[in-house]
Amino acid sequence: MSFYTHSKGVVMKISYGFGLALLLIFSSANAISQEQGHLNVTTLVEMEQVSVGADGERQTRLVPVETVVPGDVVIYTTTVENISDEAADNVVVTAPVPEHLSYVGGSAFGPGMLIEFSVDGGVSYAAAEELTVDDDGQPRPATADDFTHIRFVMQDDLAAGAQSIARFRAHLN
Amino acid sequence: MVLASYKGRCACANDIQDSALDRTNRIEARRDRLRRISRFVAAVFMIAFATTAFSAGTPVGTVIDNMAQVDFDIAGTPDSVNSNVSSITVQETIDVVVTLQSPQNLVAANDTNQALLFRVTNIGNGSEAFQLAINSVIGGDDFDPVPSATPIYFDSDASGDFSVGDVAYVPGGNDPVLAADASVDILLLNDIPGGVVDGEIGRSELTADSLTGTGAPGDAFLTQGDGGTDAVLGATGGTGSDTGEYLVGEVQISVLKSVTVLDQFGGTEPIPGATLTYTVTVAVTNGGTATSSVANDFIPADTTYVPASISLNAAALTDANDADAGELDMSGAPTVVVRLGNLTQADGIQTVVFQVTID
Repeated sequence: MSFYTHSKGVVMKISYGFGLALLLIFSSANAISQEQGHLNVTTLVEMEQVSVGADGERQTRLVPVETVVPGDVVIYTTTVENISDEAADNVVVTAPVPEHLSYVGGSAFGPGMLIEFSVDGGVSYAAAEELTVDDDGQPRPATADDFTHIRFVMQDDLAAGAQSIARFRAHLN
Repeated sequence: MVLASYKGRCACANDIQDSALDRTNRIEARRDRLRRISRFVAAVFMIAFATTAFSAGTPVGTVIDNMAQVDFDIAGTPDSVNSNVSSITVQETIDVVVTLQSPQNLVAANDTNQALLFRVTNIGNGSEAFQLAINSVIGGDDFDPVPSATPIYFDSDASGDFSVGDVAYVPGGNDPVLAADASVDILLLNDIPGGVVDGEIGRSELTADSLTGTGAPGDAFLTQGDGGTDAVLGATGGTGSDTGEYLVGEVQISVLKSVTVLDQFGGTEPIPGATLTYTVTVAVTNGGTATSSVANDFIPADTTYVPASISLNAAALTDANDADAGELDMSGAPTVVVRLGNLTQADGIQTVVFQVTID
């Protein structure tokens, strides 16, 4: 497996292991977001907080979360902002479903995005209903629990200065 | 039990008589029904337990990082960028369930130390200590069992019943500390009051409370979780309980009698002069106690008792009415009498043997 990274304007194809090490160093130095080159990408993890206002209306809002307990449902939101002066095309957001979490079926959301899932660690992607997994030698339809990665494929260009979001929910096992 | 399956098929010339045995026959039909109910309850319970797959959840202290990757083209050139790493830390959640393990316990009035078996399982994601409590005053039953002087024991020897080697539970002294997903088996001991009658049911409940605290799901105990995390009460609110039942009923006894023939010519023909060896086996087959059980067996007509031929569990008994457990009672029709005492299932099979010769 290999992927591309971008550094000082040079595109390098690097090995997965080396790339991961690079990313860890890189991310620790840039805890908030990556303002590198053309796109600014931020991931936020939040939970729903329900409050009852003075008028008795229940209000739900998202609040950033740092601690969770089993059973909690968290919401991952990746925001992509085009900070260059050119449109970006073929924009694809790949979001892993972290270990210990299970994707909440039907929760993936991204305006203008084709959403596909992977059950094999991000090697291949397909629509949720097309995926199968091996169950004691017999294929069975994949369920939300089986998804390891979610891919949000933007159908249109991301114009200069524009931003978009990709979001999904997962519950802590 | 093999003996039970042969009950009633014994083609013997004689009958074994015993007040307890007679009562047993009288209530046989109802007893069968009760046993079926007990088995049904046990079967339902086993199924329920087997399908309840507890999972303690992600361990406390686990840090979950996540990072998204974005691939794109700018001016025809592929590029890729990663997001920041979002991070969440798993706190301790406190959850416990108590599940009854034993079927309905068949008891009699004035029985003591009658056990019910429960399992306490920590379904939280961290290590937790639990305080245990018994409650035998429960609405909806027919009588209140009376908790024994020491009413809660660990089933230390994993025998499933109250036995030597089981360790008494002392609140605040040896509260069980359970790792995530770990469980401990607990026995509740109750005495059965006098005055209860057959068919009545009494219930007793075991409760396990988290020592960190109990309350509404979601309540938090700041920094009281493992490793200084916050502890949050899960769906159980940090407390679990389950209830077991005692059913009053008569003790069930199985009796099997067999005979072998040995003629004076070394054959097995029942001819005058042949020796008949009778073997009577008696066993309690349920949880009750047969008090002061006595096996009485008439010497059949046209036979003569062989002197000094009585034995109990292979130990010889004299024919005289003396200190040992048996004699030949000649006060009426000659009768072999063997006192079996207070029998429980734990005593196993009692075997009485005697011989006669055909006149």
